[in-house]
Amino acid sequence: MKRACFVISILLVASVFAGCAVFGRGKDFKPFDENALTQVTTGKTSASEVTRLFGPPNKIVKLSNGNAYVYERSIEKATGLWLVILTFGNWDKQYDRIVFFINTDDVVTHFGSSFNAETASHAMPF
Amino acid sequence: MRCRFNNQIWVATALLIAHAMAGCVSLQIDKIQEGVDVLPPPVEFLQKKTLLAEILSCYGAPADLVDMNGDFALHYRRALYRGMNVSIGIPLKYALLPSPSMKATGNLLRYDTVVFIFTADGVLKDMKYDKGTDRSFWEDYWK
Repeated sequence: MKRACFVISILLVASVFAGCAVFGRGKDFKPFDENALTQVTTGKTSASEVTRLFGPPNKIVKLSNGNAYVYERSIEKATGLWLVILTFGNWDKQYDRIVFFINTDDVVTHFGSSFNAETASHAMPF
Repeated sequence: MRCRFNNQIWVATALLIAHAMAGCVSLQIDKIQEGVDVLPPPVEFLQKKTLLAEILSCYGAPADLVDMNGDFALHYRRALYRGMNVSIGIPLKYALLPSPSMKATGNLLRYDTVVFIFTADGVLKDMKYDKGTDRSFWEDYWK
Protein backbone atom coordinates (compact mmCIF):
# COMPACT_ATOMS: atom_id res chain seq x y z
CA MET A 1 0.00 0.00 0.00
CA LYS A 2 2.83 2.34 0.97
CA ARG A 3 4.71 1.55 -2.18
CA ALA A 4 1.61 2.05 -4.34
CA CYS A 5 0.97 5.43 -2.73
CA PHE A 6 4.59 6.42 -3.25
CA VAL A 7 4.50 5.42 -6.91
CA ILE A 8 1.22 7.29 -7.44
CA SER A 9 2.70 10.39 -5.79
CA ILE A 10 5.77 10.23 -8.00
CA LEU A 11 3.63 9.84 -11.11
CA LEU A 12 1.41 12.75 -10.09
CA VAL A 13 4.38 15.00 -9.35
CA ALA A 14 5.90 14.02 -12.69
CA SER A 15 2.64 14.79 -14.46
CA VAL A 16 2.41 18.22 -12.79
CA PHE A 17 5.90 19.13 -13.90
CA ALA A 18 5.27 17.66 -17.31
CA GLY A 19 3.83 21.06 -18.15
CA CYS A 20 6.17 23.28 -20.04
CA ALA A 21 9.04 25.59 -19.41
CA VAL A 22 10.25 28.01 -22.04
CA PHE A 23 13.40 30.08 -22.08
CA GLY A 24 13.70 32.50 -24.96
CA ARG A 25 16.35 34.97 -25.99
CA GLY A 26 15.88 37.64 -28.63
CA LYS A 27 18.51 39.98 -29.92
CA ASP A 28 18.14 43.14 -31.97
CA PHE A 29 21.74 43.26 -33.02
CA LYS A 30 23.82 46.15 -34.30
CA PRO A 31 27.56 45.47 -34.52
CA PHE A 32 28.94 48.56 -32.81
CA ASP A 33 31.84 48.28 -30.43
CA GLU A 34 31.59 50.19 -27.16
CA ASN A 35 35.40 50.29 -26.92
CA ALA A 36 35.45 52.48 -30.03
CA LEU A 37 34.06 55.28 -27.84
CA THR A 38 37.62 55.86 -26.61
CA GLN A 39 38.44 57.12 -30.12
CA VAL A 40 35.75 59.80 -29.97
CA THR A 41 36.77 63.24 -28.73
CA THR A 42 34.19 65.99 -28.37
CA GLY A 43 35.05 69.06 -30.42
CA LYS A 44 37.31 67.04 -32.74
CA THR A 45 35.69 63.85 -34.01
CA SER A 46 33.64 64.39 -37.16
CA ALA A 47 30.32 62.85 -38.15
CA SER A 48 32.03 60.78 -40.85
CA GLU A 49 34.44 59.33 -38.28
CA VAL A 50 31.48 58.39 -36.11
CA THR A 51 29.86 56.49 -38.97
CA ARG A 52 33.21 54.88 -39.82
CA LEU A 53 33.58 53.65 -36.24
CA PHE A 54 29.99 52.70 -35.49
CA GLY A 55 28.37 52.21 -38.87
CA PRO A 56 25.15 53.85 -39.99
CA PRO A 57 23.03 55.06 -37.06
CA ASN A 58 19.64 53.52 -36.23
CA LYS A 59 18.10 56.95 -36.13
CA ILE A 60 19.07 60.52 -36.99
CA VAL A 61 17.25 63.28 -35.12
CA LYS A 62 17.27 66.74 -36.66
CA LEU A 63 17.99 69.42 -34.09
CA SER A 64 17.97 73.20 -34.49
CA ASN A 65 21.77 73.43 -34.33
CA GLY A 66 22.78 70.12 -35.87
CA ASN A 67 21.83 66.46 -35.71
CA ALA A 68 21.93 63.61 -33.25
CA TYR A 69 23.00 60.14 -34.33
CA VAL A 70 21.38 57.40 -32.26
CA TYR A 71 22.71 53.83 -32.08
CA GLU A 72 20.66 51.20 -30.33
CA ARG A 73 20.58 47.44 -29.86
CA SER A 74 18.73 45.25 -27.39
CA ILE A 75 18.55 41.84 -25.79
CA GLU A 76 15.25 40.37 -24.67
CA LYS A 77 14.93 37.33 -22.42
CA ALA A 78 11.67 35.51 -21.86
CA THR A 79 10.81 32.89 -19.29
CA GLY A 80 7.59 30.89 -19.24
CA LEU A 81 6.39 28.15 -16.94
CA TRP A 82 3.15 26.22 -17.26
CA LEU A 83 2.10 24.07 -14.31
CA VAL A 84 -1.32 22.41 -14.55
CA ILE A 85 -3.38 25.41 -13.36
CA LEU A 86 -0.64 28.02 -13.02
CA THR A 87 1.10 29.95 -15.77
CA PHE A 88 3.96 32.36 -15.22
CA GLY A 89 5.48 34.61 -17.87
CA ASN A 90 8.35 37.05 -17.61
CA TRP A 91 9.97 39.26 -20.27
CA ASP A 92 12.96 41.46 -19.70
CA LYS A 93 14.27 43.74 -22.43
CA GLN A 94 17.37 45.89 -22.02
CA TYR A 95 19.25 48.19 -24.37
CA ASP A 96 22.70 49.36 -25.37
CA ARG A 97 22.47 52.94 -26.63
CA ILE A 98 24.87 55.61 -27.84
CA VAL A 99 23.87 59.10 -28.88
CA PHE A 100 26.18 61.62 -30.59
CA PHE A 101 25.28 65.29 -30.86
CA ILE A 102 26.77 66.72 -34.03
CA ASN A 103 26.80 70.44 -34.78
CA THR A 104 26.29 72.21 -38.10
CA ASP A 105 30.06 71.90 -38.80
CA ASP A 106 29.67 68.10 -38.58
CA VAL A 107 31.72 67.83 -35.39
CA VAL A 108 30.69 65.83 -32.32
CA THR A 109 29.87 68.24 -29.49
CA HIS A 110 28.57 65.72 -26.93
CA PHE A 111 27.93 62.03 -26.64
CA GLY A 112 26.34 59.72 -24.10
CA SER A 113 26.18 55.96 -23.78
CA SER A 114 24.38 53.27 -21.78
CA PHE A 115 25.25 49.60 -22.00
CA ASN A 116 22.61 47.54 -20.21
CA ALA A 117 21.65 44.90 -22.77
CA GLU A 118 23.64 42.18 -21.04
CA THR A 119 21.70 42.78 -17.80
CA ALA A 120 18.52 41.29 -19.31
CA SER A 121 17.75 38.18 -17.30
CA HIS A 122 15.53 35.13 -17.03
CA ALA A 123 13.30 35.32 -13.97
CA MET A 124 9.86 34.65 -12.56
CA PRO A 125 7.29 37.47 -12.53
CA PHE A 126 7.34 37.93 -8.75
CA MET B 1 6.98 6.54 9.20
CA ARG B 2 3.24 6.75 9.71
CA CYS B 3 3.47 10.52 9.52
CA ARG B 4 5.41 10.32 6.25
CA PHE B 5 2.80 7.95 4.84
CA ASN B 6 0.06 10.43 5.80
CA ASN B 7 1.97 13.24 4.11
CA GLN B 8 2.19 11.23 0.92
CA ILE B 9 -1.57 10.71 0.96
CA TRP B 10 -2.10 14.44 1.42
CA VAL B 11 0.25 15.31 -1.42
CA ALA B 12 -1.35 12.73 -3.67
CA THR B 13 -4.82 14.05 -2.82
CA ALA B 14 -3.77 17.66 -3.46
CA LEU B 15 -2.24 16.73 -6.79
CA LEU B 16 -5.32 14.74 -7.79
CA ILE B 17 -7.52 17.73 -6.96
CA ALA B 18 -5.19 19.99 -8.97
CA HIS B 19 -5.49 17.61 -11.92
CA ALA B 20 -9.25 17.43 -11.59
CA MET B 21 -9.42 21.23 -11.58
CA ALA B 22 -6.97 21.62 -14.44
CA GLY B 23 -9.66 22.17 -17.01
CA CYS B 24 -11.73 24.37 -14.70
CA VAL B 25 -9.41 26.85 -13.03
CA SER B 26 -6.34 28.62 -14.28
CA LEU B 27 -4.19 31.47 -13.06
CA GLN B 28 -1.72 33.34 -15.24
CA ILE B 29 0.75 35.94 -13.97
CA ASP B 30 2.85 38.03 -16.38
CA LYS B 31 5.55 40.63 -15.99
CA ILE B 32 7.23 42.65 -18.72
CA GLN B 33 10.10 45.00 -18.02
CA GLU B 34 11.78 47.27 -20.53
CA GLY B 35 14.75 49.41 -19.58
CA VAL B 36 16.69 49.83 -16.36
CA ASP B 37 15.79 51.80 -13.24
CA VAL B 38 15.49 55.53 -13.78
CA LEU B 39 17.00 57.42 -10.88
CA PRO B 40 15.68 60.77 -9.65
CA PRO B 41 17.73 63.77 -10.79
CA PRO B 42 20.44 64.75 -8.28
CA VAL B 43 19.90 68.02 -6.41
CA GLU B 44 22.92 69.48 -8.22
CA PHE B 45 20.93 69.55 -11.45
CA LEU B 46 19.62 73.10 -11.73
CA GLN B 47 17.59 74.80 -14.40
CA LYS B 48 19.54 77.35 -16.48
CA LYS B 49 22.84 76.03 -15.05
CA THR B 50 23.25 72.32 -15.71
CA LEU B 51 24.68 71.43 -19.10
CA LEU B 52 23.91 68.65 -21.54
CA ALA B 53 27.30 67.02 -20.91
CA GLU B 54 26.51 66.62 -17.19
CA ILE B 55 23.18 64.92 -17.88
CA LEU B 56 24.73 62.58 -20.46
CA SER B 57 27.52 61.73 -18.07
CA CYS B 58 25.05 60.90 -15.27
CA TYR B 59 22.23 59.19 -17.20
CA GLY B 60 23.93 57.96 -20.38
CA ALA B 61 22.12 57.77 -23.68
CA PRO B 62 18.38 58.50 -23.56
CA ALA B 63 15.56 56.23 -24.70
CA ASP B 64 14.21 59.09 -26.83
CA LEU B 65 15.57 62.33 -28.18
CA VAL B 66 13.03 64.84 -29.43
CA ASP B 67 13.40 68.14 -31.24
CA MET B 68 11.04 70.76 -29.81
CA ASN B 69 11.19 73.64 -32.31
CA GLY B 70 14.55 74.97 -31.16
CA ASP B 71 14.72 73.29 -27.77
CA PHE B 72 15.20 69.55 -27.45
CA ALA B 73 14.36 66.92 -24.86
CA LEU B 74 16.06 63.79 -23.54
CA HIS B 75 13.66 61.15 -22.31
CA TYR B 76 14.77 58.30 -20.02
CA ARG B 77 12.20 55.62 -19.37
CA ARG B 78 11.60 52.25 -17.77
CA ALA B 79 8.33 50.43 -18.47
CA LEU B 80 6.91 47.80 -16.15
CA TYR B 81 3.86 45.75 -17.09
CA ARG B 82 2.07 43.39 -14.76
CA GLY B 83 -0.84 41.25 -15.82
CA MET B 84 -2.99 38.63 -14.19
CA ASN B 85 -5.60 36.38 -15.71
CA VAL B 86 -7.93 34.16 -13.68
CA SER B 87 -10.41 31.88 -15.36
CA ILE B 88 -12.96 29.57 -13.86
CA GLY B 89 -15.14 27.34 -15.95
CA ILE B 90 -16.74 23.96 -16.27
CA PRO B 91 -15.53 22.37 -19.49
CA LEU B 92 -18.67 20.63 -20.61
CA LYS B 93 -18.44 21.61 -24.24
CA TYR B 94 -18.36 18.01 -25.41
CA ALA B 95 -21.33 17.01 -23.27
CA LEU B 96 -23.40 20.13 -22.91
CA LEU B 97 -23.45 23.46 -24.70
CA PRO B 98 -22.90 26.16 -23.66
CA SER B 99 -20.19 25.62 -21.03
CA PRO B 100 -20.46 27.96 -18.06
CA SER B 101 -17.28 29.95 -17.48
CA MET B 102 -15.95 33.12 -15.94
CA LYS B 103 -12.77 34.93 -16.79
CA ALA B 104 -11.19 37.91 -15.08
CA THR B 105 -8.20 39.72 -16.50
CA GLY B 106 -6.31 42.76 -15.33
CA ASN B 107 -3.12 44.41 -16.41
CA LEU B 108 -1.31 47.61 -15.66
CA LEU B 109 1.55 49.27 -17.51
CA ARG B 110 3.49 51.84 -15.51
CA TYR B 111 6.52 54.01 -16.24
CA ASP B 112 9.47 55.44 -14.40
CA THR B 113 10.36 58.51 -16.39
CA VAL B 114 12.61 61.50 -16.34
CA VAL B 115 12.62 64.12 -19.07
CA PHE B 116 15.19 66.88 -19.46
CA ILE B 117 14.44 69.82 -21.73
CA PHE B 118 17.37 71.80 -23.07
CA THR B 119 17.79 75.03 -24.94
CA ALA B 120 19.48 74.83 -28.35
CA ASP B 121 22.75 75.73 -26.57
CA GLY B 122 22.54 72.63 -24.39
CA VAL B 123 21.56 74.34 -21.13
CA LEU B 124 18.94 72.63 -18.95
CA LYS B 125 15.64 74.49 -19.23
CA ASP B 126 13.28 72.16 -17.38
CA MET B 127 13.09 68.65 -15.96
CA LYS B 128 10.38 66.35 -14.68
CA TYR B 129 10.63 63.04 -12.86
CA ASP B 130 7.99 60.44 -12.12
CA LYS B 131 8.49 57.02 -10.53
CA GLY B 132 5.28 55.27 -11.50
CA THR B 133 6.36 51.88 -10.17
CA ASP B 134 6.60 53.24 -6.61
CA ARG B 135 2.90 53.97 -6.42
CA SER B 136 0.46 51.39 -5.09
CA PHE B 137 -0.36 48.80 -7.74
CA TRP B 138 -4.00 48.50 -6.64
CA GLU B 139 -4.59 52.24 -6.34
CA ASP B 140 -3.15 52.86 -9.78
CA TYR B 141 -5.17 49.98 -11.20
CA TRP B 142 -8.54 51.02 -9.80
CA LYS B 143 -8.07 54.78 -10.10
